Amino acid sequence: MSEIDWFPLILSLRVALIATAFVVVLGVALGWLLARKRFFGREFLDAAVTLPLVLPPTVLGYYLLVLLGRRSFVGRAIESITGQPLVFTWRGAVVAAGIGALPLVVKTSRTAIASVDTNLEDAARTLGQSEWRVFQRVTMPLASRGIIAAGMLAFARALGDFGATLMVAGNIPGKTQTAAIAIFDASQAGRDNYALVLVVILSAVTLLLVYSTNKLTSGR
Amino acid sequence: MTLQVRIKKSFGAGRDGTSGRFRSDSGLPETHSAMSDLDVDFEAPAGFTILFGASGSGKTTTLKAISGIVRPDSGRICIDGDVIFDSVAGVNLPIRTRGIGFVFQDLALFPHLTSLENVEFGISGLTAADRRRRVQTLIEGLRISHIVNRKPREISGGEAQRVALARALSRLPRLLLLDEPLSAIDEETKLSIISDLKRINRELQLPILYVTHSREEAISLGEKLIVYERGRIVGRGEPIEIFGTPIASSIARLTGVENIFIGRVVSRSETGGTLTVEVSDKEGKCTIDVPYGNQAEGGSVTVAVSAGDILLATEEPRHTSLRNILTGRITSIEDQSNRTIIKVKAGVNWSTSVTRQAVRELGLAQGREVWLAFKTHSCYLLDQAE
Repeated sequence: MSEIDWFPLILSLRVALIATAFVVVLGVALGWLLARKRFFGREFLDAAVTLPLVLPPTVLGYYLLVLLGRRSFVGRAIESITGQPLVFTWRGAVVAAGIGALPLVVKTSRTAIASVDTNLEDAARTLGQSEWRVFQRVTMPLASRGIIAAGMLAFARALGDFGATLMVAGNIPGKTQTAAIAIFDASQAGRDNYALVLVVILSAVTLLLVYSTNKLTSGR
Repeated sequence: MTLQVRIKKSFGAGRDGTSGRFRSDSGLPETHSAMSDLDVDFEAPAGFTILFGASGSGKTTTLKAISGIVRPDSGRICIDGDVIFDSVAGVNLPIRTRGIGFVFQDLALFPHLTSLENVEFGISGLTAADRRRRVQTLIEGLRISHIVNRKPREISGGEAQRVALARALSRLPRLLLLDEPLSAIDEETKLSIISDLKRINRELQLPILYVTHSREEAISLGEKLIVYERGRIVGRGEPIEIFGTPIASSIARLTGVENIFIGRVVSRSETGGTLTVEVSDKEGKCTIDVPYGNQAEGGSVTVAVSAGDILLATEEPRHTSLRNILTGRITSIEDQSNRTIIKVKAGVNWSTSVTRQAVRELGLAQGREVWLAFKTHSCYLLDQAE
């Protein structure tokens, strides 16, 4: 093997980065909701967003296919807005990786936000701040370590997503073949050296991210 | 400006299905196992109004209800006729629009911001110059210029207290709520903050609700006192009136000292180490010796004597070192769980405590002539009202 194909790795980084951006916004919002608001079905919501962590990836992928496929209402709506389908494109991989990472962001940011003293938030309210400003100026800065940790975990998780991505985005070399899928492909085809390169890189990046996350959440 | 408060709040089981918990408007469950139901009704004009009582008696909940952090079950709260909460009319202004300055018991300074950023936090809608001027006034007025660039964890308790006060005043509130603001600082700092508070009070002329369980703080600030017990108001008036009149048992227990009188220094004896004070109540007066202090002749003082420190005799005690020997008649004998309180009219109305056995052996009865004796150093001078 003379030339290493870097496309799967670059695609994985791109997918993971975009998925992280979306999922941090959504996950922190959900984490805040779960930490700070009491409403009917709160613990049910918590359980529902935890599902991607424990369900088989194929089940998750199946749900996403049904939900976002070209025959579904959501799928057709997206196609009519963006002009292209979501499934079997790299955008589908973003959705699959994002959903897989969501529970980590929700759990981590919920814990971080719950640890912020509510008296500080009340104090900000007595100083004329709206709920959004309270979050922006008090809650978020004080929960920032946890939120950054949540983002890093999400990125690490999205980088390595396999099952759901395979089902939603497929395995199209040069189009939707991410690093995790390329490893599977290479290993099946006996291209062990190539698989090893990707395995080592993915492992190293993920190890670094998880290590930093631990430092961030335990240190002070 | 006047604050009017009439609120009820129940912390019992069944309100939202969970016992001892309630919903605050920030949405968090709060557990109050030792909380009594709150049912209070009072007015606070400009100046200090002191909410006095044991912890768990509802003082803090009252402040939280007024500020909007806790929502009462029913009632009405107005500031100067402006309704900020009314359960019947369905008015419940959000916290941020109530225009109330609140110094929390734990101060709640923002730990990620400097003292200056804390003070500036709530100021909005001003030009840069006006903003600077307001911040400058607050910082100089509360003497915190030297710590503006430090974070809350790098300053002392007294300094943190001043920063919290400056922050609470930064939006020119129409009402100031202070929750045990001086509980965690040393005496000297306490006195200097009290004098700053009095100055702020004179300058701003707004109602200040001051929560405390310290008798000294109540007396030294005291214009109006409201005594809380288990969610109800059990006494109101001037601190001297409340603490100095023959006291309702609940208030006596809260204050811990049964005999508190207002008095006037008649003479000073530095060599003797005493001040001679004429104390009085509604029914009479008498003269006692108290420990020497820097109070001026003719100045007014507040004297406290614990009932347990007063010796009761059926004959005139002679040949003792006791400086204070008074004679009078027993007006009442009241059995309490482990002691008997004997009230004696000797100039003023004194309370003294003895054992049941002593009551039998001495043959104490209402109307009997007795002597009261106590040491100079059993008399405590309390901080003086201005």
